[in-house]
Amino acid sequence: MTVSLKDGARLFGVAVMCGCAVFVCTFFLNFYLDALAVKDEVEESALSLYRAQLLTAKFVCIISGSVLAAVTLVLIVFYVRLYIDAHSKQLGLMKALGYGNGKLALEFWVFGLSVFLGATIGFGAGYAVCPLIYDQMGGEGFPGIPIRFHAELLACFVVLPTVVFSAFSILSAYLRLRRSALTLIRDRSEGKPVKAKPRSRKIPFLLDLTLTTLKSKKSLLFFIAFASFCFASMLQMSVSMKDYSSISMGAMIFGIGIVLSVTALVLAFTSLVRANERTVSVMKAFGYSFWQCGQCILGGYRIPAYCGFALGTVYQYGLLRLMLDVVFNGVNQDVPVYQFDVAVFFIVLACFAFLFELAVSGFTVQMRKTSVRKLTAE
Amino acid sequence: MIFADNVNKSYRNGITVTSVLKDVSLTVGRGQLAVILGASGSGKSTLLSVLSGLEQADSGTVRVSGETLTDMNEKQRTDFRKRKIGFVFQQYFLIPHLTVEGNVRIGAHLAGNRNYAEIIEAVGLGSKKNSRPAELSGGEQQRVSIARALAKQPDILFLDEPTGALDEETGRGILDYLFKLQSELSFTAVMVTHNASIAETADLVFSMNSGKIANVRKNEIRKSAYAIGW
Repeated sequence: MTVSLKDGARLFGVAVMCGCAVFVCTFFLNFYLDALAVKDEVEESALSLYRAQLLTAKFVCIISGSVLAAVTLVLIVFYVRLYIDAHSKQLGLMKALGYGNGKLALEFWVFGLSVFLGATIGFGAGYAVCPLIYDQMGGEGFPGIPIRFHAELLACFVVLPTVVFSAFSILSAYLRLRRSALTLIRDRSEGKPVKAKPRSRKIPFLLDLTLTTLKSKKSLLFFIAFASFCFASMLQMSVSMKDYSSISMGAMIFGIGIVLSVTALVLAFTSLVRANERTVSVMKAFGYSFWQCGQCILGGYRIPAYCGFALGTVYQYGLLRLMLDVVFNGVNQDVPVYQFDVAVFFIVLACFAFLFELAVSGFTVQMRKTSVRKLTAE
Repeated sequence: MIFADNVNKSYRNGITVTSVLKDVSLTVGRGQLAVILGASGSGKSTLLSVLSGLEQADSGTVRVSGETLTDMNEKQRTDFRKRKIGFVFQQYFLIPHLTVEGNVRIGAHLAGNRNYAEIIEAVGLGSKKNSRPAELSGGEQQRVSIARALAKQPDILFLDEPTGALDEETGRGILDYLFKLQSELSFTAVMVTHNASIAETADLVFSMNSGKIANVRKNEIRKSAYAIGW
């Protein structure tokens, strides 16, 4: 067994993303299904609000569910690549001994275990908060909506993702393993290395190193931009929604935003520090301070982080506008006019800047522990 | 130039303490090439780490270029390495996403050396300055590693098995380059190797055994890299 059950179950990022997706989808769809069952009991005056609530549940479930499922997919590919790259010698030797790509790739089904763990916790938590959500989603003229357990949701949100993501892990591993045994043993990527373009203008060395480090880990750009996207969109939304929803709903969005952004940021920075251990060791041996090492390895990710923040701000504004213009259009009750909250934007931006710099500083301090002893032969 | 007196170093692994250097004393003069010779596990790489300031000795005195390393904290040793030391490692440890020029600039930047292009030319890689390490042979990568160390204009160059990962012919070429550059630039060099033949090319040979210097030899005439058996 090349990939152990433990390897498969400890993909923290996958479990968190999947857990959040299933959590949100479970309580909204559970509400949707239970509310559908009491359609005939809704008073005429509350029908438009009732329809809007059903649409909201469906809308939020589709958007957040699909976004988080897509991120989980990207994460699975990322983890599979990371695992294969870290164990390339061992996998190359097994291929040299006669193991086929398919046989080796099949062992990656265990990566689905993290999906199972995250989905199970997310489903349990989602079902547990149902009473809270039902209270808020109801309104004047609504009948009492009993909470029912829907086995089909369990199948859809726990069993199905586990199977689909396990299959995806196998496929992803199969594609990554399609290199010669020698290439894997030598730990070199297939094909000719891309020739660097000579620069017409010399840029300062540390900036050059920062930019090349950024280019060498493009996949991490996505996670860092995603972290800031989640932070900007969900934190601003949790406050902006105060006129359209309850405090507890806002707190829930706030919490999910924090969990997703911190998870993605920590995951990206941990991978970056690990991937650049040797670079940091060499820099330290030559006499660069650990602070210079940190700025070169992590500092370059500031720009993508703030781009993600800008995108998240636009997204939350667009989403709320769409919800109010489309979903609550025609609702008889007074719905306050939505306006972009500039003060909230700046407060969230300041919080994000603080969080990001805290992460850069924390991981830079961690780099201080990188041993230079590994560089010597004995 | 390099002075070590009764240096001891041990490592703790759980409850086991392994003594790697035992009362090691040596002196290397300015501009000399010293070779530290020994089998695997004899402590030669640890001695190189201690002499270069990569690691701190447990006891004893290490003085390099008039500065006492054993009195310094980690920050001071980092600053010392920045000002005085260059390294060449067995596994090259080039930064894969930087070009040859970028890798050499790691050293040049610290010394404020703007003439690093000359060093790239000197190691014969002028035409490959825009290549990445993966495009180079082992010998070429080691030459980049030497250029990176020399671009820093170090007082002392430490080399840890610089030919260990190379074939005989490439290894001879690398050493020949190195000796030529040493005679031109007059830096002090300390080389760790397990290859006894390479010791013939040095001014001073320290043979290590079980963490101690078992023998010190001075060569009146240094042999060329092409004149030694491998």
